[in-house]
Amino acid sequence: MDELRAAVAIARKDIRNLSRYRLVVGSMIFTPLYQGVLPGLLFGASFAVAGRVVGLEKTIGTDDLSGFIFFGGVISSLVATAFWAMGMSFRNEQEMGTLEPTWLTPTSKSTLVIGRALGGMFWLVFSQIAIFSVGILFFGLRVRWEMLYALPALVLATIALVGLAHLLAAIVLSIRDANLFIDCTNFLFATASGVAFPVSFLPGVLQPIAFALPTTYATDILRQHALGTRPLLDPVLEYAALVVSTIVMFPIGRWAFSAAERRMRVRGTIGQY
Amino acid sequence: MTDAFTRADLRALIASARASLRVMRRYPTQWIGQIFWPVLLPAVWVLIGQAYSGGGDPRAMDAFAARSGTTGITVFIFVGYAMYMWLSTLLWGPGTELRRNQMTGTLEAIFLTPVSRLVPLFGPTLTTVIWTAFQLGVMSIAVWLLFGIVLPWQGALLSLLVVVASLPAMYAVGALFAASVLKFGETGPIVQFVRGMLSLLCGITFPIVMLPGWAQAVATAMPPTYVVASMRDALLKDASPLDLLPSVLILFALALVFGVLAITVFRVLERSARRTGMLGRY
Repeated sequence: MDELRAAVAIARKDIRNLSRYRLVVGSMIFTPLYQGVLPGLLFGASFAVAGRVVGLEKTIGTDDLSGFIFFGGVISSLVATAFWAMGMSFRNEQEMGTLEPTWLTPTSKSTLVIGRALGGMFWLVFSQIAIFSVGILFFGLRVRWEMLYALPALVLATIALVGLAHLLAAIVLSIRDANLFIDCTNFLFATASGVAFPVSFLPGVLQPIAFALPTTYATDILRQHALGTRPLLDPVLEYAALVVSTIVMFPIGRWAFSAAERRMRVRGTIGQY
Repeated sequence: MTDAFTRADLRALIASARASLRVMRRYPTQWIGQIFWPVLLPAVWVLIGQAYSGGGDPRAMDAFAARSGTTGITVFIFVGYAMYMWLSTLLWGPGTELRRNQMTGTLEAIFLTPVSRLVPLFGPTLTTVIWTAFQLGVMSIAVWLLFGIVLPWQGALLSLLVVVASLPAMYAVGALFAASVLKFGETGPIVQFVRGMLSLLCGITFPIVMLPGWAQAVATAMPPTYVVASMRDALLKDASPLDLLPSVLILFALALVFGVLAITVFRVLERSARRTGMLGRY
């Protein structure tokens, strides 16, 4: 119960901190729109024949371009939350000099990650509601209630990403140029998860990596239910792969985080970066 | 006297460029990003293009060709992203240099020197030429290694000339942004916004005929639009130097307009900052 209270307190602190920077909160909504959605829609529309994106229909089984982009954006934001709000936030605390006092509290170190996950999820839901509202109002986005069937896949992917965030935090606390590392790996992870295009278009050597990521299956399951796209694999197999990859990713992340923490305590490097 | 001041300003300009070069050298990990992003960003958009075209469905490709004038999606995207990377370098580098000086507490010291105010405004922009040239080289190699496309040497040469001819206009845009930063303070979200808007207007990933009429009209006042269009013409449509001449002349004219605008905005904001004591605050 104490750990839960600590996690909620961390989440409340993160939410309060970010809400003080209105420009940053605004950019959480507008940046994805003008950097991803609008260029994607206009690029896709330039392949349209008589108003239908026939190429996309051939690729995924539906010509719903805006749905393809917006639902890819959900997973992209989920991944970004794990990388930036959870993983990278440890470096931010390090830079502010507040990591050592936090580390000295009797709270489990894992609670620090989970608290950030809760805060990150709050902003994720907030920004996605705003982005989807813009999509429905201005970009012809249609939302079907069947998309709710994808909720279990999203929950599993979130658990896997919390595991990944432990691993990222371990790396961030161990390297110097964490910003570049998080920026590049976030991009690669999201791309390999198929948020921008189906992973079948990745070069052959990269496809095994894509199929090892839980988010690849979560993206595909979400699009199947929300848009009626053709599945990459049998949906039962996709769920099985999602469960297995989550079961693998979570303990690996926890183990890496514990190892990094132990190493930092022994070497006394917690305040160094 | 004027001569002496001009020579001193020139020396200060070179010193400012050397300072930027030295900072660039001290952070070698920046080079990783300068290879990663110019390759991966456009490569992903090429794959998006393949997905949107149904893996090269003839109807989709014809539609794209009708709007862009080419079916060469790969070069089309890579040229667009060469401009995107250039804009990023301009806006994140010299565009935020005044702000960085403000945060490190060196802006007041620089402004106390007797050099022309144009030195801190234009000095740091000189070194970005190195990044831009490096990125163009990386992208040319990436197009060849990842997609097997060898750029025609005449087109590549002509594109390089277009880049050289557009330097004054592009750096005038960068200087205008840098001057405005004195007013805004926090730069991160503003850089993202300006870069995002310019990317949308200038057809980085899509043909600008896809934009509504008013946005196309705005795009015609932006130097990157002409640079991207000229490079695409040179590389994809075998345009001759004569074909590109009108665009180059427009770029020179825009360099003048943006240059004068940057200097004027900078002077107005500097005067205001001196009056309000904003120079050292952030």
